[in-house]
Amino acid sequence: MSNAFLYALVGVGLFSLGFYALIRHVHLLRKILAINVMGSGVFLVLVALAKRTGSALPDPVPHAMVITGIVVAVSATALALILMLKLFAETGQAALSDRRKE
Amino acid sequence: MEVITWLEWAFDAVLSVGLLWLAWRALASPDLFKAIVLFVSFGLLMALAWVRLDAPDIALAEAAIGAGLTGALLLAALARLRAIAFKDTSVPPPQFSKPQFLHWLLIFFLLWLGAGLGYAIWVLPPYSTGLSVAVAAHLDASGVSNPVTAVLLNFRAYDTMLEMIVLLMALLGIWSLGGFPPHTDMPTGSVLDTFSRLLVPVFILVAAYLLWIGADAPGGAFQAGSVLGAAGVLLLLSGWRPRVSLTQWPLKLALAAGSSAFVIMGLLTILYEGQLLAYPAAQAGMLILFLESLATISIGATLAALFLGRSSDHEENQ
Amino acid sequence: MEAMLADTAWAVMLIILPLAGGITCFLWPTLSKTLGLITVAGVALSVAGLGRQMMENGVYRHAVGGWGAPLGIDLFADGLSLLMLIMTALVGLGISFYSRNYFKPQEAIWFWPIWLFLLAALNALFLSADIFNLYVTLELVGLAAVALTALTGHRDALNGAMRYLLAMLLGSLAYLLGVALLYHDSGSVDIVTLAEQVKPNATVWAALALMSAGLALKTALFPLSFWLPPAHASAPAPVSALLSALVVKASFYILLRLWLEIFGFFAEGAATLLGLLGMAAILWGSLQALCQTQVKLLVAYSTVAQIGYLFLAFPLASGSDSMIWGVAVYLAFSHALAKSAMFLAAGNLVRFGGHDRIADLDRVVQRLPLTVSAFALAGVSIMGLPPSGGFVGKWLLLEAAMVQGRWDLAAVMMIGSLLAAGYVFKVLGYAFTEAEVSHNAKTVPASMEWAALLLAIGAILLGFMAPEILSLTRMTVSSGAGGAAP
Repeated sequence: MSNAFLYALVGVGLFSLGFYALIRHVHLLRKILAINVMGSGVFLVLVALAKRTGSALPDPVPHAMVITGIVVAVSATALALILMLKLFAETGQAALSDRRKE
Repeated sequence: MEVITWLEWAFDAVLSVGLLWLAWRALASPDLFKAIVLFVSFGLLMALAWVRLDAPDIALAEAAIGAGLTGALLLAALARLRAIAFKDTSVPPPQFSKPQFLHWLLIFFLLWLGAGLGYAIWVLPPYSTGLSVAVAAHLDASGVSNPVTAVLLNFRAYDTMLEMIVLLMALLGIWSLGGFPPHTDMPTGSVLDTFSRLLVPVFILVAAYLLWIGADAPGGAFQAGSVLGAAGVLLLLSGWRPRVSLTQWPLKLALAAGSSAFVIMGLLTILYEGQLLAYPAAQAGMLILFLESLATISIGATLAALFLGRSSDHEENQ
Repeated sequence: MEAMLADTAWAVMLIILPLAGGITCFLWPTLSKTLGLITVAGVALSVAGLGRQMMENGVYRHAVGGWGAPLGIDLFADGLSLLMLIMTALVGLGISFYSRNYFKPQEAIWFWPIWLFLLAALNALFLSADIFNLYVTLELVGLAAVALTALTGHRDALNGAMRYLLAMLLGSLAYLLGVALLYHDSGSVDIVTLAEQVKPNATVWAALALMSAGLALKTALFPLSFWLPPAHASAPAPVSALLSALVVKASFYILLRLWLEIFGFFAEGAATLLGLLGMAAILWGSLQALCQTQVKLLVAYSTVAQIGYLFLAFPLASGSDSMIWGVAVYLAFSHALAKSAMFLAAGNLVRFGGHDRIADLDRVVQRLPLTVSAFALAGVSIMGLPPSGGFVGKWLLLEAAMVQGRWDLAAVMMIGSLLAAGYVFKVLGYAFTEAEVSHNAKTVPASMEWAALLLAIGAILLGFMAPEILSLTRMTVSSGAGGAAP
């Protein structure tokens, strides 16, 4: 029995924690942080469970997937941040307005 | 032996608690600056976790991209937020807009979700080889001996091709919105400036080393590219601006090099091998290094260009 | 020549060509418009080539890198994927033709490369047989869609795009966590391998829940549709058309594929839930559409309702009717044509009068007859009146519901059609009346009117071609997932 399950469960914890913050927070920067924490949680589940090979070498496929995922995450974060800045410059608030003004 | 196992378990337990605690602090901190700093520390702890999980390739990528560049992006964005707001830097504490019973409903739902997912993981068989056997069996034919690089650039190179497009696509989206405004308020000639100019050649050397070693050991295009990107960001943050001529064609070529290399490789392999991204076995190693080199340049350029504002060539065309 | 055409890897061209086009547009922004149109035309030809190939050889499979699944990634196309590819190519042609004159030069240099990447990502998604590869294409589709939504930089568009992006990322992460669970349960990300190995256990159920929820969020299934109206209504007209016609279909297609191959055999309860949400979506979306005062918001809510119809396929398919997936894809196709026509027509109205308030349309029928015809013809398909594609699709769905004794589904479908008639005629009615305040009108380029009209005519013609198309969807469902040609 390795530490694989421990870290996988931490991954689930991070996912739930990030989910909570994503829904609860209004400030967009916090929402973006929350998404990133959720992402880290998912990556942790993917990689931790790859350690269950029973040998010293973990399964490399999830590792490659997570490297792909990290690059996708940073791209999405950058796009989200620029959207937030533009929105802030236009509306003066770094939050979503709930309804379109008619 | 027994003591070492116990120490390892203790270390893992502390790291796990630390990860959850830092994530919670980062997400709950009333001060945005503090939240970002905590988030970056969280990223560094994550890098440690990757090491504990025998994933040094990810640890390198996480430290450079997950913690380093994402942190720099977040801080740059926060600086702009405050510059636009230009009055108080104290950000109001997180506002909770939903009614109380919805709050409890959400907590209940998330506890249920967490428990359910935890159970779903707990019942997994303790041993599973996944695709590691298949990877090991074909590693010799892949042209590299680092299994992660073999997956990224050979077995699943198609994912990586699309990923290069994701990067270029994100940059296009960011530039279409005007790009991150350049930081003009940085004093030049400061300690940071001299320091970063000294560091840049080191960064480039490290990147080249990571790229080269990636074939056999932890490292590769993504890690090398993010180190290169970090060097660029450091230069930009210390007030250095590339000459205008550099931000036109040379920059655009650097940005498109990785994705173009993959697309051209795709066309050539279809023509000569009849299958997308199927390298001839004898040249696989060389072709992978070629693809990785161009990908490294593009990843580095893209990550740095996020901080640059858009290409002046695109400005002129408007 | 004949042999060369038959041997060309058309499916791969569907991905490589728009990628190359997008990169070239990035390098030479001034050539964007020409390059974009050529590339989209090339993609349409490649779909035709692939279709011809599949008519002769049956299902298409291509092992990327020569490794073959599960180690490598496979491209895979059966009748359902081919139909989605044809849909993408046709709608893509119409929208590109429209966009030629729609965007200002400073918007066009961004629109074309991003749209070409979106096109490549959609094609890659419809061709993928690998659930992790599907995640990458899904992210590419999502980021491109968000970037296009925000293109104008207006306040509403930014707000819509931001909400859209957060919903997309949440959906992708839920999906990816599901992928992680499935991989660690069965040791593969290849759909065919998974179909053979997956046994219903707690891990698989959790994966099913996560992936379905994530994809339902991305497809804007009620009540996860909160992000759709603001994004689709505030985007530039051709982008709204792309989002409603193609982008929501992408995540729907993945869900369909997963149920068809992996989950459909044991998850009847979950299928019932999806069906219930589909029914709620039809009623809620249609009622909301009826209440709107602006054309684009009305059309956006109509999308929420029409997505509901697609989800009715899930409970009907678990009632052992495998043909129903073909019907769902056919309905998605006809909705894509009709809805893109409607959004383009709405774009013409905005261009013409500078607003899209329904009450102030001011006898627009006399001044933009082609646009109003396009809206009306598309409306015929959305309402499900004969002889349109919408009619055939909804009729088959209704028939299946009645055969299985699902009167609740049948009733909701009929009510949905009545409500659709209500909101379509709401717009058309005001198009004939005179507004109290007349406004200065701008001219609308003929190509923009014709693009809308041609797509709407396509939605009607689809009804006449129903037998051929439905037989196309049967190309593989009967032969099963494993019956793939090399």
